Formats: sequence, C-alpha cells, structure tokens
Amino acid sequence: MGATFLKHDKSKVILMNKKYFKPWRFILPGLVLGLITLGVPIYQAFENSFYDIRLYRLGSEIFIGLENYMNLWNDPIFLIAIRVTLIFAVGCTVLSMLFGLIVAGFLSSENIRGTIKARFFMAFFIVPFVTTQVVTGVLGRLFIWDAEFGLVNYFLGLFGFGGVEWLTSSELALPVAIITNSWRLIPLALLVFYAALATIPESLIESSKIDGAGEFKIFTNVKLPMIKYHLIFVSLIIFTSAFREFDVIFSLTGRGPARSTNVLSLMVYQQGVSVGNMGYANAIAFTMFLIVAVITIVYMSIFKLGRVGT
Amino acid sequence: MSYKSISRIKEIFKYLVLTFWFLVCIVPLVTLFMASISDTALFQSIPELFSLRGRTFVNYVISFGHGNFLFHLRNSLIIATLAIAVVLMVCTPMAYGITKLTSSKSKNSLIFGVLSTRFIPYVVIAMPLYLLFREIGISGSLFGVIMAHLAMQMPFMIWLMIGFFSGVPNEVEEAAVIDGCSPFQIFFKISLPIVLPGINAAAILAFIMSYNEFLFALFLAGPENRPLTVGIMRYVGGIDVGAQYGVVAAYGSMIVVPIIIFALIVNRYIVSGMTQGAVKE
Repeated sequence: MGATFLKHDKSKVILMNKKYFKPWRFILPGLVLGLITLGVPIYQAFENSFYDIRLYRLGSEIFIGLENYMNLWNDPIFLIAIRVTLIFAVGCTVLSMLFGLIVAGFLSSENIRGTIKARFFMAFFIVPFVTTQVVTGVLGRLFIWDAEFGLVNYFLGLFGFGGVEWLTSSELALPVAIITNSWRLIPLALLVFYAALATIPESLIESSKIDGAGEFKIFTNVKLPMIKYHLIFVSLIIFTSAFREFDVIFSLTGRGPARSTNVLSLMVYQQGVSVGNMGYANAIAFTMFLIVAVITIVYMSIFKLGRVGT
Repeated sequence: MSYKSISRIKEIFKYLVLTFWFLVCIVPLVTLFMASISDTALFQSIPELFSLRGRTFVNYVISFGHGNFLFHLRNSLIIATLAIAVVLMVCTPMAYGITKLTSSKSKNSLIFGVLSTRFIPYVVIAMPLYLLFREIGISGSLFGVIMAHLAMQMPFMIWLMIGFFSGVPNEVEEAAVIDGCSPFQIFFKISLPIVLPGINAAAILAFIMSYNEFLFALFLAGPENRPLTVGIMRYVGGIDVGAQYGVVAAYGSMIVVPIIIFALIVNRYIVSGMTQGAVKE
C-alpha cells in the first residue's frame, strides 16, 4: 500500500493510517531488548531457585527441586522478613498518600494554586524525591535520628523530651525507616494529586459552595472522588516501590537492630552475596517477584489499569 | 469574630502548613551541608553546627583525595549517560509503534506488559545477573550494570512515551501521509518534534534515576566502575567501625547538591514527567 494510492482517496487514509505505519518495525528492537534485560534475569531467578548453588563453589550446582522453597516456608527469618516488608510497604503507602493529600490540598486551595508561590513551594517539595536514596539513608542515620546528636532529638529536647534511641531500638527502627522512606516518596503523591486537583472544574466547586459546603467538606466529598483513579494508581506505584526498597534501609539501619528492618530485598543480598547461598537467595527473589506480580495483576484487573479504550 | 478575620486566620494557617513542609524538605539537607563544613561534624550540638565558628574544608579535601570523588563521579556519569542513550534509542520508537498498533488485543497486552514490569523488585534483576555474570566470567563489568539499568528504566520510559505519542493529533500525521512521507519520516520529522518536551522530561527523570541508583551498583559494579553511591558507603561505617561523619557529609553534599540544583532548574520537566508517569492510561 503506497502513499500514491492513498493520495487519491482521502477517506481511505484515515482507515488505513495505522496499518500504513507497520508498527512492529518500530516496536521490535525495544521489545527484544526488554525481553532480554527483564526476561533473562527473571528466568534465571526461577531456574536458580531449584538448585543448591554455593557462591564459593561455583560449578557444583545440585538440582534440589522445591527444597529451597520448603526451607523458606520453615525459615522464621524469612517469615519475619515478609511481615517486615509488608508493614514497611503498607506504612509507606499510608503515610505518603496521607501527607501527599494534605499538602496537595493546601497547595491547591484558593489564592495559592497556580500562583508563583505555589510554583516556588512545589520546586522545593520535590527535592526529597530527587535526593539520592543512599544519601537520604545515611543522612537519616548519622544526622537526623542519631540519639545523641540528631536533629529529631534536638527538637524534641526543646520540648523537654529527647534521648530517644530511634535506630538502636528494635521497636522504633521500622517506624523510623518508614518515615524516612516516606519523606522521599511523598513528593510523588503530592505532585500527582496537586496536578489532578487542578483539573477539577471551578464550576463544580462553586456550585458546592452555593450548597453551603465548607472547604474541608468540598475536599473530601467533591474533590477526592474526582481524583479517585489518581489515588488508586499512585498507591500502587508507592506500594510496589516501597516493597522493593533497598537503598534507604541498607544505608539507614542495615538490617537491624535484631533484624527488625530486615526486608526481603536486604535478605536476598545477605543470603546471596554475604552467605553465598545463591539458590536460596534466588528463591527469595523469585518469591518477591511472584508476590508483586499477584498484587499488580489483581490491582490492575480490579481497577482496569493499563487498558486503552479503542 | 468577623468572617473576614476567620478567613484571615485560615489563610495564615495554610501558609504555616506549607512553610512547615518546606522546612521538612530542606532542613535535613541543610544540616548535611553544615556538617560537611564542620571540623568535628556532628560531635557537637545542633546550634553549634549551625553557627559560623570552626568552618573548614578538610572533609572535602578528604573526599577528593582518599575518597576518589572524581573517579566515582566519572563512573556515575558514564553509567547514567550510556543507559539513557540506549533507552531513548529503543524506547521512543517502541512507544510510537505501540500507539500505532491496529489490533487492540496486542496493544493492550503490550501496555499491560510495560506497566506490570514497572513494578518488578530490583533484586529479582540484580541477584540472578550477579550470579550469571560470575558464572560466565564477566562479573563487575560495566555491561552488567548498564543491562540492569535498562531493565529498570525501560518500562517507565515506554509508559511515559506512550502517553506522549497518544497525544499527537491524528490529522497532523494523516496530512504527512498524504504528502507522501514514509513512516520513518513521519516519526522523525512530525511526531518526534511534537513530543520532544515530553521526551526531555523523561530523559531528565531517567538520568536522575540512574545517577541515584545504588542497588545494581552494589551487586554488579566491579572496583573499576563503582559510582558515587557506592563510593560514599566506605565512610558510613558498620556497627563496629566508626562512621566518619564529616567525610560522609561532604561526600553526600557533593552527590546531592548538583542533582538538586539541576532539579530546581529543570523543575518544570520533572514535575511534568512525574505527573505523567502516574497517570492512568
């Protein structure tokens, strides 16, 4: 089908337009590269998980079937790690969504949204998001949450509290990790919610006002339902990104104290690289993949994400 | 109280909240910077840290000398630049092709694939690659790090770009078809220039992602190509080894200050990229 043919019949152009592009020629290179960079590691993780592989005796792999998975099931450290990871991911999601909404709500209120003031605030509100994650963790560990010299205890001290052992207490370390990681994720929620709130037509808000609704009520009853899909999608992004978090926790708490912040990502590193039990580490990694896959697919089919209406 | 004074109080409250949040975002980083120019870093109280006494650049001297800052910076830039170059070259046409698919079934499954691979835990990529590269004897190579970065960036970039290309009006391209442009000419001369601002935003975000990345570097980068994020960890110290607060602060400041200034300058692009990336298609 040549362009010369199309020249004569404009109505056919519109119908045939898309076939004319031969889209697969554009897709193929990326698809191949994507399948290699993602497919190879995932398949390797799957395959390795059925073997007993020791990093320091490579070449003497033994096929052991499902033994790695059986061991996982009976490994209390793994079961605790799953719990810690889920608490961490859910905690980060709740905190980020909540603060993202609150700040976006204030930033998009009358007299502020769309002004130079809003743009100034927004420019600085995204700073935590672009801050290198390991620096965030290290900064938290040495300068923010340090029991003796840290910023948080200094401010608490002004009010007569202080001396809290944030990072050396096995009860407080996980909440501290959640707060630190949320500091980094909140900008994402904030930014998307602010943009979404800005698209709500003014007339809708005006009419609610005439009905006598206060600003808070308008926010919860009119504006929030309008940005429902943004809330759902952002919560998925934040949950999965917290679920796989490694950098912040590695540099903030290591895995401790007493494995209280030993999330699955860190356990994979510790088992694989430090202990050298590669088969086991790959089994944990593949389990993580399955958990995320199930959550993502359930989420996406419930909320019909990633489907283009044709 | 009059209506006017209530709304005035409300107004002040709004600014208080926003200013508080501004401080939450900025103060930790200012602390880091102040510590970096302190002789004894944080072995002093917060007020002393923010005073002007005892300022020094010794931590920076150590970071450049013993800390090999420039060497690690070079590696960070090489990794980020190579990753983005490859990603842009393959993802831009791919996203374009996806928007041009006629069968909604293959279109939907490709988009579903792109979206769902975006959420993969990074250790699932890093751990098997670490073993694979050791087995075939190329462990620690730049190639491995780049491959992992591609896996990390591709789904996000394609997702963003599908959004951009879907926004190109059909009429513009149809006009080009009538004028006898080949598909490749249309892509390069018509569609690509239209979505260029979006692609800039995507490239900036990808650069920041790669520059900040630590996990892949830890697993896959050998001594000769370790980026900044690994370089700083030397001074953080384990449980038993003391951390070098001042050097960490200087090193950390030098890692984040350029990226933050960059982010403030290209703020508009980052905002649009982050927003687009979280929009339901």
